[in-house]
Amino acid sequence: MASSSKTSAPTTPAPASSAAASSASSFRQRPWVRWGAPLLLVVGLAVLPLVMTESANDTLARIGVFAVAVLGLNVVMGYTGQVSLGQIFFLGLGAYVTAYGVQSGWNIGLVFVLTCFIPAVVGLLVALAAARLGGLAIAMVTIALPIVGVPLAKRLSEFTGGSQGLSARFVAAPEGSGLYDDQWQLYIVLVIGGIVFLLTYFLVRGKYGRAFAIVKGNENVASSMGISPYRYKVLAFTIASLIGGVSGFLYMVVVQYTSPETMSFGHSIELLVAMVIGGAGSIVGSLLGGVFYVVVPDITNAIDPSLTALLQGALLLAVLFVLPGGLVSLPRAVMRGLRRSSTGRGSAAPPTTPSSTSGSGTAAEPTETERQGSA
Amino acid sequence: MEKFVQLVVDGLSTGSVYAALALAIVLVHSATGLVNFAQGGMAVLAAYVAWVLTNQGVPLILAILASIIFSFLLGAVLERFLMRRFERGDPDTAVVVTIGLLTLITGIAGWLWGYNNQQFPSLFPLDTVSVLGVSVSIRSLGTTLVIVVAMVAMQALFAGTKLGLALRAVAINPQSAGYSGLPVERLLMVGWGLAAVLGAVAGALVAPQLTLTPGMLDSALVYALAAVILGGLTSPVGVVVAAWLIGVLENLAAVYVGFIGFDLKVAVPFILIFVVLIVRPQGLFGRKTVVRV
Repeated sequence: MASSSKTSAPTTPAPASSAAASSASSFRQRPWVRWGAPLLLVVGLAVLPLVMTESANDTLARIGVFAVAVLGLNVVMGYTGQVSLGQIFFLGLGAYVTAYGVQSGWNIGLVFVLTCFIPAVVGLLVALAAARLGGLAIAMVTIALPIVGVPLAKRLSEFTGGSQGLSARFVAAPEGSGLYDDQWQLYIVLVIGGIVFLLTYFLVRGKYGRAFAIVKGNENVASSMGISPYRYKVLAFTIASLIGGVSGFLYMVVVQYTSPETMSFGHSIELLVAMVIGGAGSIVGSLLGGVFYVVVPDITNAIDPSLTALLQGALLLAVLFVLPGGLVSLPRAVMRGLRRSSTGRGSAAPPTTPSSTSGSGTAAEPTETERQGSA
Repeated sequence: MEKFVQLVVDGLSTGSVYAALALAIVLVHSATGLVNFAQGGMAVLAAYVAWVLTNQGVPLILAILASIIFSFLLGAVLERFLMRRFERGDPDTAVVVTIGLLTLITGIAGWLWGYNNQQFPSLFPLDTVSVLGVSVSIRSLGTTLVIVVAMVAMQALFAGTKLGLALRAVAINPQSAGYSGLPVERLLMVGWGLAAVLGAVAGALVAPQLTLTPGMLDSALVYALAAVILGGLTSPVGVVVAAWLIGVLENLAAVYVGFIGFDLKVAVPFILIFVVLIVRPQGLFGRKTVVRV
């Protein structure tokens, strides 16, 4: 955490030197907070499945699945700045590989490896061609993935079951554990999803993450520093595809059924909407994106199913207008607004675009400590 | 042979629809530097307006004209109140805005008129006519013809009128255009409006065939984007040629290439793209842009 706060320091908005912010960071660096908070999180997540209802467990598991998918999209889009409309295709591909492998009776470990490997290779091939064109070409090419993917899945019916789809039940709670299936599924999602989130966190904080950020910021600067934008775009897209494949595996764990509809164009757009609303270029934002992807349709379907698309579009535009950093930047934006109204007009910081590189898991905490500091 | 000619004519007709959308995208891109993923959605909205009017008893041709005027206003208003905020910023954000707009428009259409397919009356009879001993459908010929006329008129507007000159000036360098006294912001609105008009024409012509749904032009948008990539964002002629090429090739491939068939013909332009991107990354007719750091 110490090194991560160091790297994020230059990107935090202007009032970083104020007493409030420094007390917040020292609070975050206290050893019992640094070790206690993650530990608390892990313990909480370990207990949660045991005490929640079955439908809550199921919802949480689905959130986990799509949070991983959004995280993959974030790697290529949020961190590297390449708009991708094809992420759902890799989720679908991963789901199909899993279902086919399970139905063929392969070892589940092998299935998982293939679920990572095949989408990554497909993503690599797509990116090798798409990244050759600069700018928006990746968006224009990747939009084809779901649109070609659906008829392709219907056509290759001997592998995919055609329009009927494939179902595979392979995650029953082990005998003697005393767990119900939904709890066991949620544990699998939490463990695999947690590992993916952790690995991605280290990836985007490290050498590769900095290279991605430069490619996003200015490709010419990147190449002048010896960072090939082409290579890093391909790398980011490949990693995003791999993570998409993993989310497909988790999808099969939870939903246990996939059909061409899984990777439809509409879902692809929804995934992008969820990512932007959660927060582009943010680990916590990916989680919020997963929540948005799962919960909002549940709510709107309860009110009026024909309103779902309308609401999603309106919400996306509203977020882009008033909160370009996504929901994850909400606490900071609120604090900035409060501080500006309390200190008056003179010392108000210019409204910079919120840098969405807040530390994972601690996004909500600074607001409380900042309030203490200013009181 | 007869079948081949029919396929080519039908391909040109669908290719024209892609061409109109692609040209609209190029128009917006040259003026504001962003790719409008909502171009198809805006056209669908126009088609719905025409459909509602015909249901009210308005003659089809008048309804389509009204929807074209509606589109022009819609494009101008969207530019002014939605896109302008994002035009100078990060192009990726602007693209996400247009995707949000697409979602919103699809949602509005679905909310107002439902997601069921609606029959849209055709401008042209469904008969065939004999050309050089080969019978081809009037609708395909008519669609192609109308869109070609629309594109030529647009080209004439850009090449031969004062408004066109001003629009081109804004597209090439908005800042200098502003210094020389052109109302840049209003011209950008006009540019968006004209692009929306092209889309509306395409939407009205293709709606009878595809039947009207909120997502009617989603795949046409994909073809149009493919044409834009193939032709190159900087070349209107290249984009139109590419769109026709795609329309014809996908039709031929659907019939003559066993594996592809009608369901997978949407893959054809992308196979084409993969080949072209490897050989000519700037598109078939595009210029290589040199960026100064």
